[in-house]
Amino acid sequence: MRILVVDDSKAMRMIVVRTLHMAGYDEHEIMQAENGRHAIEVISGAPPDLVLCDWNMPEMSGLELLTALRGAGWQVPFGFVTSEAAPQMREQALAAGAMCLIAKPFTAEDFQEALDPLLA
Amino acid sequence: MTYIPSADDLEVITREVWTSFLDGDPAGLLVSGDDVAVERVTGCVHLSGAYTGSIMLSCSGSAARDAAAALFSMQPGDVTQNEIIDAIGELANMVGGNVKSMLPGPSVLSLPAVVQGQLAVPGAHVVREVHLTWRNEPLAVSLWQQAAQAA
Repeated sequence: MRILVVDDSKAMRMIVVRTLHMAGYDEHEIMQAENGRHAIEVISGAPPDLVLCDWNMPEMSGLELLTALRGAGWQVPFGFVTSEAAPQMREQALAAGAMCLIAKPFTAEDFQEALDPLLA
Repeated sequence: MTYIPSADDLEVITREVWTSFLDGDPAGLLVSGDDVAVERVTGCVHLSGAYTGSIMLSCSGSAARDAAAALFSMQPGDVTQNEIIDAIGELANMVGGNVKSMLPGPSVLSLPAVVQGQLAVPGAHVVREVHLTWRNEPLAVSLWQQAAQAA
């Protein structure tokens, strides 16, 4: 399976990848993109089985990416990994079609709890 | 009545970020009365909406380099300026996003800005601040509020 990690911070992309490995998802192929626009290019070339995406990014935000994907008919499972985890953000994420929202900072256990149902 | 996160809240949030991604040791971050020296790196995110203001994270250049090294799993001597900017921006974003969750909403969080030196926001003042020490280097987190919103 392929997982696409989208975050404008290279440090955070590395932490998400490390945490995926710690959570036991080290068998999966992991791809990276630095914003929503770049993610669309990556997805067009190699469709992932899961997108893990930051909310707040330059060029195209995570919410804009999710809206664009759903508008184009892509139903790939999508989760946010964001520092903004207030209830209204969760509601907005779920209403837009996200399947989970993982709050930063996070642990490997947080990833397992959110992603096991999606990657089973 | 509007709840403004306390200095203790700022400390708890910063400690959680540091413990999760930098040290793994809650005792690694100590409360301190020391101010950050002029030679500093500052990461800032701005909030606009129901609460308008900023969250800033400042630390010494040495602490910024160590933080970037920890986030990137590198030796401090190998860290580039871009990696320091990325790391301090992301740390400010994480602290700021969590502080935002405690403030009245809705508000929009900006992308982080990182500068070498001190940063001041015109028309805003500090409403909460915590001074910490990490690896014997000073680190401060502050919450700012636009004057028009101040009580």
